[in-house]
Amino acid sequence: MRPSPIRESVTTIGQDGTRPFLQPAITFGPWWKARRAVAWLLIVFFASLPWIEIEGFPAVFLDIEHRHFHLFGAMLGLSEVWLLFFVITGWVFLIYATTAFLGRIWCGWTCPQTVYLEHVFRVVDRLFEGDHVSRTKIDAQPWSEPSKLLRRGGRFFAYLFLCWAIAHIFLAYFISIPGLYPMITEAPLAHPAAFVAMAVATGGLFFNFWWFREQLCLIICPYGRLQSALIDDDSVIVGYDEKRGEPRGKAAPGIPAGDCVDCRRCVQVCPTGIDIRQGLQMECIACTACIDACDDVMTKLKRPTGLVRYASLRELNGGQTRILRPRTILYAAMLVIGLIVATGAVLRVQPAAFKLSRPPQTELYALSDNSVANVFRVKIQNKDDIPRRFFISAQSPSTKVTVLNQSVGMVIAPLTEITLPLTLLVDRTDYRGEFNFTVRLSSEDGQISLLQKAHFIGPDPRTLKK
Amino acid sequence: MPKETPHDAQPVIMPHTYDGIQEYDQSLPNWWLFTLFGSIAFAFLYWMACFVTETAADDRVALNIELDALEARQLAAVKNLDDGTLWKMSRNAQTVAEGQAIYNSLCFTCHAPNLAGMKGLGFRLNDDLWVHGNTPTAIFSGISEGIAFEGKPTGMASQKVLGTGRIAAVTAFLLSTQKEGAMKLIPRKDEPSQQSP
Repeated sequence: MRPSPIRESVTTIGQDGTRPFLQPAITFGPWWKARRAVAWLLIVFFASLPWIEIEGFPAVFLDIEHRHFHLFGAMLGLSEVWLLFFVITGWVFLIYATTAFLGRIWCGWTCPQTVYLEHVFRVVDRLFEGDHVSRTKIDAQPWSEPSKLLRRGGRFFAYLFLCWAIAHIFLAYFISIPGLYPMITEAPLAHPAAFVAMAVATGGLFFNFWWFREQLCLIICPYGRLQSALIDDDSVIVGYDEKRGEPRGKAAPGIPAGDCVDCRRCVQVCPTGIDIRQGLQMECIACTACIDACDDVMTKLKRPTGLVRYASLRELNGGQTRILRPRTILYAAMLVIGLIVATGAVLRVQPAAFKLSRPPQTELYALSDNSVANVFRVKIQNKDDIPRRFFISAQSPSTKVTVLNQSVGMVIAPLTEITLPLTLLVDRTDYRGEFNFTVRLSSEDGQISLLQKAHFIGPDPRTLKK
Repeated sequence: MPKETPHDAQPVIMPHTYDGIQEYDQSLPNWWLFTLFGSIAFAFLYWMACFVTETAADDRVALNIELDALEARQLAAVKNLDDGTLWKMSRNAQTVAEGQAIYNSLCFTCHAPNLAGMKGLGFRLNDDLWVHGNTPTAIFSGISEGIAFEGKPTGMASQKVLGTGRIAAVTAFLLSTQKEGAMKLIPRKDEPSQQSP
């Protein structure tokens, strides 16, 4: 028997610390159908990305082993990891902005926890164990009951298979489908690290969806805790129209009854076990299950729907929702500024890099009959997925400097890095002492032009006999 | 349809008050407590294993074992490269071509594309006069480790850049211009590239 929820306690944490396991009912209403459409779109998107090939690589391929990250045709190396800053801050700004406008719409519609739990695993629950009444009955049965063994056992293996499949798709993001396929066909011990990653992911997913479920949202996920700071009276939330609904139940003498008939359907369908009529709560993942449930009952009673609906607290109190508020303007502005800066940063990423250094164990400079020489070590990295011919040149405003033997340039294979010595010569007649110069790395196709500053070391010019 | 009973009781309020704030006496979830006590137990076992009994593998020891294995592999590769093998490699057209390609991408900047050397930068390599050893293995180690002369470093240590296999190929390329038994060892000042580039 499920206790009636109260605001002071979390329904799914028992007073002795045990976990009352919820078996929520379901109403297949319009919101649920819309959410299912979004969820399947997201699942198909997630599952198909590793299969879609763009410019010879999977659409998303985070190749940890070779430290290359392929994103929709672009290729980023480990040296571009700093761009993650924009991904993380952008995601936070996006969450802030959407929460200020639309509450926890992320939780109810797009969070993988909700998407897979509501639209995959609870479907399996209903398939094997029936509706919430049947499932509650099975919960109470002893394991010696053959039908429980059959139904729950079947569900166990269905869960295991689904988690195993999701884990493989997840793994494909890091080792690609062509990389994954031989690992699947070969013995697990041939690729122990990948196998362990797959097994841990499968086990973690299984534990999460089989048992942990809403505990993740209530206790682990920080987002619910931020809700009180991110939501204000004008944010659109899933709310109960207290003005219209109360007093609930049967009319008392002298007081006309509200529209809420106290059927408790909204409580039965809640996946986190709250009573939405007690107002906005930390546990609410804004999944709209109670909206569907209440609308269904109201329709049957031939009363207007929307007793529980998407509305701001201000609207529920009879006011008008204000869309433009300091926080929505600020969050939206931060999001836009972040997008502009991130776009600029991404556009500045060059498909090559080079670094100049002095090789160890060499003399700082060398003298020949008519020139002063400096030897550098250049590391050139072709970060693109096509081969390129690169040229190196050096300029100085003060002194004429020549790069030795580099006129033909060098072809660097895709995704490789070469190190080569770079010898710079200055004619004795031109030499006026140490000077700064710029080294330019350019590509034959004109796509790349990178500069590096360096210092030319040499003797005091007065010691050189002309 | 399961009948719902009212919540057993309102949570107990703790007797203390701090700054006017009261506190409910709620239980933590058992699974949460399990992670807490589990991590305490793990910390104790970890401390025992790594710092008290030292039975767990030390990362530094594991690292040194791997580095030793790497060094052993490199040494084993070099060990097989005696003078005879390197001469044999110098007669293999494919190896020589590979060595030449590497030479033309790296070594030529100081030793010139035609092996003629450059004054003050790199010795001449296309004559039969050798300053830092006149054996194939001496050339190999010169490329690999660099060459020190009178305490001053000279020549580039290329082991990290090229690796044993490619250094052997470059050695083979250089030997392909030499005649076995005709390489002469001379003092540094007599090297022709010291005089003119």
